[in-house]
Amino acid sequence: MPALEIDPTSGPADGLAAVVALRRLADLTEDAEVERAMRSGWSWPQVAEALGVTRQAVHKKHAQRLIAAGVDLRRR
Amino acid sequence: MVTRLALDARSLFTAAEIEARTNRSPLVEAEHLLLAMSAHPATDAGQVLASAGLTHEALERALATEFEASLAAGGVSVSAGGPPRPSPGPRRRLRLSASFKAAMERSVTAAAGSRQIRPAHLLLGVLGAQAGTVPRALRLAGVDRAGLATLTRQALSG
Repeated sequence: MPALEIDPTSGPADGLAAVVALRRLADLTEDAEVERAMRSGWSWPQVAEALGVTRQAVHKKHAQRLIAAGVDLRRR
Repeated sequence: MVTRLALDARSLFTAAEIEARTNRSPLVEAEHLLLAMSAHPATDAGQVLASAGLTHEALERALATEFEASLAAGGVSVSAGGPPRPSPGPRRRLRLSASFKAAMERSVTAAAGSRQIRPAHLLLGVLGAQAGTVPRALRLAGVDRAGLATLTRQALSG
């Protein structure tokens, strides 16, 4: 059977695109909010606890970007 | 078979990476390659896009509309200020997404028999996607994908 010709804006396509868009929004929100917390003086353990992840995970994901953005991360 | 990447096609890769970084994307997606083409009107791909009214600005608008429509399908609306804009990541190589790799594979197929992969071959690769962000954005912008692909093939043979 040949693959179904799909409409990229049909019901199922909308539903799957919603997943992609919500993931992207969640990622953008995480990046922006971690940045805001660290600029407000939060520590890595505090941010990690608020997000429900390990300190290592949040540090690994965000430290380089925040340093590049000029956030002072000493003694956190 | 090894087909070489034309010089202006190669520079589109670098431009796509910059588009990804500007859009705060951790991966280079097919839509970033498309944005890069629209920002290079001197390339064959850029000319085809321009002839269809797909300037860089028009594409950015189409992609923003697609993002909002897809969020709405998930029951979420973005506030008037638009989605959050965190600081960009450090300059470094970004990984290529599945949509980018799939577009590349189709480009290589489209360029079979040619001396090199031209930007227009890359455009054919990007336009070949049946589902996902690019076909949705183009559909919502009222662009006929098949017609655009025909124009691209004409540009390659002309």
